[in-house]
Amino acid sequence: MKHNDLDRILSTEQEIIPSSGFAASVMDAVRREAEAPPPIPFPWKRALLGLSAACLALAWVFVASFTQISQGTGDQPLPPWYLSALDLVLAVCKNAGATWIILALVLSLASVKLSMRFASAEH
Amino acid sequence: MEKILAGDISAFEGIVRRWQSPLVNLAYRFCRDQARAEEMAQEAFLRAYRSLDRWRGESAFSTWLFALATNLYCSELRRIPVRTVPLDDVVEPRDPRAIDRGLEEEDRDRSVRRAVFSLPAKYREALILYYFHDLDVVSTARSLNLPEGTVKARLSRGRDMLRSKLSSGWVVPRITKEAL
Repeated sequence: MKHNDLDRILSTEQEIIPSSGFAASVMDAVRREAEAPPPIPFPWKRALLGLSAACLALAWVFVASFTQISQGTGDQPLPPWYLSALDLVLAVCKNAGATWIILALVLSLASVKLSMRFASAEH
Repeated sequence: MEKILAGDISAFEGIVRRWQSPLVNLAYRFCRDQARAEEMAQEAFLRAYRSLDRWRGESAFSTWLFALATNLYCSELRRIPVRTVPLDDVVEPRDPRAIDRGLEEEDRDRSVRRAVFSLPAKYREALILYYFHDLDVVSTARSLNLPEGTVKARLSRGRDMLRSKLSSGWVVPRITKEAL
């Protein structure tokens, strides 16, 4: 088949006429849209306060942990409360099956990413 | 336009009446179903109404409207695709007993259009818009929000895929009518 044949066939497309009530139906939808109250905006100001506090707390935990670990690697050993807290965290992780949870999450993420890649390649 | 932006909804009716046919026809080319085409066109008008203040007049209103509608139609059809058949299933050997030339041509044209629907979305969208815009690459590129070079490459590849499938002979459709 030649380019011209394809052009001719695909250019001669049948035109359809919108149904008689189409414009009225669109205008009804537009009026409903205009009359509807505006959506409630996300309370960014309040959320920002909480998010900032959470970020600061997280940063403080990291800094404190880093300081403790770096102090512990020198002559001074890690304080016992720190070691016991670490033991507790590890015990909770072990009891909750954290390894399996992490493995499942990684597998799920990998399968989602793979399927998304396949889907986009198909398109 | 200023009236609409000032809150005069009835002024929008003029836009709907002026552009209803092109928008419905464009949607129809994407889905081949008049009811669905009208639903998609209605959604396109609603989106246009919502984002009318974002049209700055830098491009023609029609360019902006078609780009908005194209974006909506493409994502809508990726969400709920049209029932299509694999490209390999579209073509069947020509029936040598076919003597009615008019009928044969009609079948061929229909099969070509069906074959377009079996192409991957990026080629199909480029082809649909190219023929909707009367073979205008610039308008097609604007509607798809893609560089002209990309559109040309997609058109060329899409047409090659179509041609290679259809070149063995004119086509007798095997697929059922509702597959369109």
